[in-house]
Amino acid sequence: MNNSRKTWEKPWNYTEGFIVAGGIALAGLLLQFSLGNINPTDFGSPINIIIGALFVVGLLCCHFLLKDNHIIRWLSSVRSTFPALLIMLLFIIILGLTPQFTVNEPQAHLPDNIFRRMGWYRMTTSWAFVFLCFYTLVILGFTTLKKTRQPQSWRLIGFYLNHLGLFIALLGGLIGSGDMQRLTMTVMEGKTEWRAQDAKGDIHELPIAIELDTFKIEEYPPKLVIIDNHSGKILPENRPESYMFETTGKTTQLSGNTIEVLEYIPQAAVVRDSAFTSVVPMLMDGAATALKIRVMNSSLKEPVEGWVSNGSYMFPYQVLYIDEATSVAMPVQEVKKYTSKVTVFTESGNTQKADIEVNKPLSIEDWIIYQFSYDETMGKYSKTSVFELIRDPWLKVVYTGIFMLLAGALFLFIVGPKKK
Amino acid sequence: MTWDHFIYFASSAAIFWIIASILALRNSKKTLPTLLTVLGLGIFFTFIIGLWMSLERPPLRTMGETRLWYSFFLPVAGLITYQRWKYRWILSFSSILSIVFIIVNIAKPDIHNKVLMPALQSPWFTPHVIIYMFSYAILGAVTLAALYYLVREKKISNKSHLMDMTDNLVYVGTAFITMGMLMGAIWAKEAWGHYWSWDPKETWAAATWIGYLIYIHYRLRKTSKNKISMIILVFAFILLQVCWYGVNYLPSAQGRSVHTYSTR
Repeated sequence: MNNSRKTWEKPWNYTEGFIVAGGIALAGLLLQFSLGNINPTDFGSPINIIIGALFVVGLLCCHFLLKDNHIIRWLSSVRSTFPALLIMLLFIIILGLTPQFTVNEPQAHLPDNIFRRMGWYRMTTSWAFVFLCFYTLVILGFTTLKKTRQPQSWRLIGFYLNHLGLFIALLGGLIGSGDMQRLTMTVMEGKTEWRAQDAKGDIHELPIAIELDTFKIEEYPPKLVIIDNHSGKILPENRPESYMFETTGKTTQLSGNTIEVLEYIPQAAVVRDSAFTSVVPMLMDGAATALKIRVMNSSLKEPVEGWVSNGSYMFPYQVLYIDEATSVAMPVQEVKKYTSKVTVFTESGNTQKADIEVNKPLSIEDWIIYQFSYDETMGKYSKTSVFELIRDPWLKVVYTGIFMLLAGALFLFIVGPKKK
Repeated sequence: MTWDHFIYFASSAAIFWIIASILALRNSKKTLPTLLTVLGLGIFFTFIIGLWMSLERPPLRTMGETRLWYSFFLPVAGLITYQRWKYRWILSFSSILSIVFIIVNIAKPDIHNKVLMPALQSPWFTPHVIIYMFSYAILGAVTLAALYYLVREKKISNKSHLMDMTDNLVYVGTAFITMGMLMGAIWAKEAWGHYWSWDPKETWAAATWIGYLIYIHYRLRKTSKNKISMIILVFAFILLQVCWYGVNYLPSAQGRSVHTYSTR
């Protein structure tokens, strides 16, 4: 770096980079004070398409018409990239340190301080943040365009994949957020539904209908734990232990107790009157899981025997008292799999049968349908499935960028840094 | 095989790694240290496979399980560096760091069980986490080199050779965190409906990624200062630590991350 150079003297360097990036953030902050956060849906199609097109055409025009402009040259160099990345990083660190609230959270719920006015509790929709993203895009765009003027070599494939890939993914993600729709739809077994709710609670009629044929929850085997009778906490408190049931007849150690599983009824009726608990098999909805166990520890004179159950919407849970201080309990079983068997109809006449699970959404026309939730009060006997329906017309654009970046990363790995 | 057996496998692997490190420091021949390190890795990996089989799921869910992979990949990264750039000290550094993580796992074992939440039941799970753990190990090794540089700057005779090494390792590490991150994005789209939601873990992953991009871009200019480059590396690694486990302790992220899979 030439130390005798003054700020704003050509060619620009890091100092100007910090001032420009900081200035852009400041401009965003001023807009934030007067307008508040950006509402992405205000920038839905066609506004986002116009913005995107103008942005790309603008970059191309500047590139071709202002070939020798020193600012454009500076914007396509590390001298502007390095400060821009640092300022961007600063904002992302602030974003990571500040609790974030969704767009639907009323403004009044946010902590009342200077951060709120700066928009930092919703950083990703704050003007400063979005401006910095666009500034990064400007640099990315010019940098990529400048490379096309240099003698081409195969080494540059990695450069193009990384820079153009990021440009496409970032621009697509930014302007695409205006068109994204996320709705939830609650469907009961045997019923067909086409109305869905957005995050604000407004109802939308969709060109797509879901018939829920069946909804099924598969659970992991029941677990046993020792709890403190007063606090209800699982023992030992610093490192809670649990035992997952395997087969009857097995013995396990839990927090100083020896527990033997005597009997297992996966679907049981647990009936308790004042002194006596009876547990019998019941092959019906509402049945609970029950284990008969024998517990022994060094302070007991003789083993304690009895039933433990985690209950259901029909039956209360059942613990087994070991002594004054501790009991054996069965926590609610963890879910292994939710499956909704559905038939989906679209307005254009498509019909498709599918099993929708977590991690296995169904893509149909513009929509992707996800397993989202169920009726938690009914537990595994839920007759209701909740789906999330997402429409993101820009997904293909973003994925193009992501796959270019993936290939670029592979290139970076294989080719490595330029030899100096 | 369960965590109860960990101490035996880990300590015998650690003994091999320590002997290898000492031999590497004393000897100019690379054969024996390499062999011993590989032997230690073999023992360590046997435990991982055994645990995998007994859990009936990949051991990648809890923090303790990711630490396990980290302890494995650190000597791998050290060995690659030792083989390729002939730094004798790197093996002892990577072994010590690996042993630190082994000790953490013995002293503060995670609650382990077979449960794999539906969100984790995906073909992306294993590559996403393993690629990340490998890149963390590479970037851990490069951070050791950066600290070495910052402490002994005046005594290092061939600085450009060292800078060459950090450049190479950062490119490899960054390539892998990029892949880990993007695979995560594709998986997030399948599991949670969106490829990027600025979940605390994602935010800090982005910060880490930008940290290493800053290093790469800064180093492109001939006027770059070695010392500043090394400081960037140390700083980027701090961001990485926040991303890996720091987010679990950040007040801003409490109860907000969908990336928490340790059971209560």
